[in-house]
Amino acid sequence: MQETNKQVPVTVLTGFLGAGKTTLLNRILTEQHGKKYAVIVNEFGEQGIDNDLVVDADEEVFEMNNGCICCTVRGDLIRILSGLMKRADKLDAIIVETTGLADPAPVAQTFFVDQDVADRTKLDAIVTVADAVHLSSQLTDHHEAEEQIAFADVVLLNKIDLVDENGLEVVKQRIKKINPFAKIINTTKCGVPLNEVLNLDAFSLKRVLEVEPDFLTSDHDHEHDDDVTSLSFVSDTPLDMEKFQDWFTKLLQTKGQDILRTKGILDFTGESDRYVFQGVHMLMDASPMGKWPKGKERTSRLVFIGRNLETMNLKEGFENCKSA
Amino acid sequence: MKADLNNFPQLNKTKFENRGKEFRLGIPVINAVTVGNSIAVGFGDGTVRIFSSGKSSEPIKAHKGIVLCMAKDGDHILTGGDDGRFLRISLDGNINEISNFGTRWVDHVTSKNGSVVCTSGNIVYLWMPNKKEPKLLEHDSTIGGVAFDSKGRKLAVSRYGGVTLWKKDYSNKWTSSDLIWKGSHNKVIFSPDDRYLVTSMQENQLHFWRLKDKIDSAMSGYGAKVKSFAFVGDSKYLATSGANDAVCWPFDGDGPVGREPICLPYVGKQLVTFVESFPNENAILTGLSDGSVYLSEIEKANNTIIIRSFTEFEVSAIAVTDDCSHLLIGDMGGNILWTSIWDEEKN
Repeated sequence: MQETNKQVPVTVLTGFLGAGKTTLLNRILTEQHGKKYAVIVNEFGEQGIDNDLVVDADEEVFEMNNGCICCTVRGDLIRILSGLMKRADKLDAIIVETTGLADPAPVAQTFFVDQDVADRTKLDAIVTVADAVHLSSQLTDHHEAEEQIAFADVVLLNKIDLVDENGLEVVKQRIKKINPFAKIINTTKCGVPLNEVLNLDAFSLKRVLEVEPDFLTSDHDHEHDDDVTSLSFVSDTPLDMEKFQDWFTKLLQTKGQDILRTKGILDFTGESDRYVFQGVHMLMDASPMGKWPKGKERTSRLVFIGRNLETMNLKEGFENCKSA
Repeated sequence: MKADLNNFPQLNKTKFENRGKEFRLGIPVINAVTVGNSIAVGFGDGTVRIFSSGKSSEPIKAHKGIVLCMAKDGDHILTGGDDGRFLRISLDGNINEISNFGTRWVDHVTSKNGSVVCTSGNIVYLWMPNKKEPKLLEHDSTIGGVAFDSKGRKLAVSRYGGVTLWKKDYSNKWTSSDLIWKGSHNKVIFSPDDRYLVTSMQENQLHFWRLKDKIDSAMSGYGAKVKSFAFVGDSKYLATSGANDAVCWPFDGDGPVGREPICLPYVGKQLVTFVESFPNENAILTGLSDGSVYLSEIEKANNTIIIRSFTEFEVSAIAVTDDCSHLLIGDMGGNILWTSIWDEEKN
């Protein structure tokens, strides 16, 4: 029974064209890892070598009729993941490759919205392979590149041998400005131990507690309006649960399309537990996660990654949630 | 101490379990289809087994990974797998590969009057009788399900945004029209009298079209996705899974619009995961998420008998032989019950 109830971790592999995704996939498929993986690809054209399974998919994004304006999911993934879960042999992990121009949101939302997928698999992490040489110009020219960085749990900064130290620092700062959570791993030819990209459990609420984002100062200068950026807020004053829920629910309902990812650890008045959440657009996973550690400040932290954040009066909204 | 699953003590075995044959194979049962008085079962390891009275079943190694779909084709079965193979298999285990799509899955198969269909991605591959090469019918999105009407002159193809209805004219030319409803449509079936077309959706609901006037409507209110549904009798009811009750919509007269479904309740708060009509009766076989299976008369809620007690694994297949002498139940834990239906029948 336990065996069938175990959720198989799914890693989403994104990255702009030419960044090195295929190199990483080839490594996953050819290395002697002793695990059984399924790799869902687009026109990869190669067979699994070891024990692994390669499944061809067409990225098919569709809208759910559930009244949520930004609720798009990947139909092909629902079909393929449901199929894979019926196999007699159990998989250790599934890797989903997305094309260079794909927006990662529908992939992530699939795991929140479809019950069969949510029951049997879990989103493990979004891993974005980025090209250290070209990332800066790609971020300027393409929405999708920004989104892929914004959604990432891990950014594999590849081809670092082709940039100098200064150039590498510039590109890292650019990544951190968009996404202060992402763990940046420097590589050449995607030479990273697989356990640093697979089985990270990055989407569990527990992990929200462990990852300390690099909180940035609040000077956000914008080159253009559609820049993806992040804003974070901290409060040592406990928050009022009702006020927070009112504000936050309305915020996600009205601005969910521009808010790409959110994470937070909250201290509510009268609650002894820490309240942890994370969200993708309008969809959210939230739960009390045990007592606050002894001897540490009960500090609420809230981070937004998205577009047009400066127009949402986030600071004011958050301040209003503080208990009087 | 370790529990021996093969000798797991069963409380209150039903009379069907006592007299039938139970197989504890440990391989998920994906689908089952009736071929005459035999029942073919597809498994999550790519094998197919044929069950019939008095014969034991040897596994037929059909696919590499999993038998994704299965349909009857005359006295053979068609199967599609995640190894990209589309197969025609005889009841004695002879395999004929009709086509191979490599790393692309064969998602759906069906047949009618010698015409054979499989789908892979957004394309229907249609082999007309005695034709070597298939006709390709392309769609804008991946196909969720496919079904012939009773005469084999219409082919319904469900997809994102509705159903494409293909019609064959008397010169064997296929033309299409669209039945539109927002959202992603999965399994599709015609009613036995060909008056209605029903689809299940990605959302927890079904949709139907009355074909003569294209009137359509949703059937909603389910707690889970509706994965299994079947017409009962000559289209009198549509029995559906996806709730704690077996929800049976009336399709006689002008159909279900403005009418309430009959809801057949079962013990406990288990989800109905599989429904199959019981031949020649206004009755259904209902499989639940705990593995139990009941036979219920739709219009007499008290007339429910238990066929199989719980196994803890959701029921994923139920089939009855054409002569109505035997039935087969399969679940996701790989447990199968093959039993005679009437007291005097032998197994």
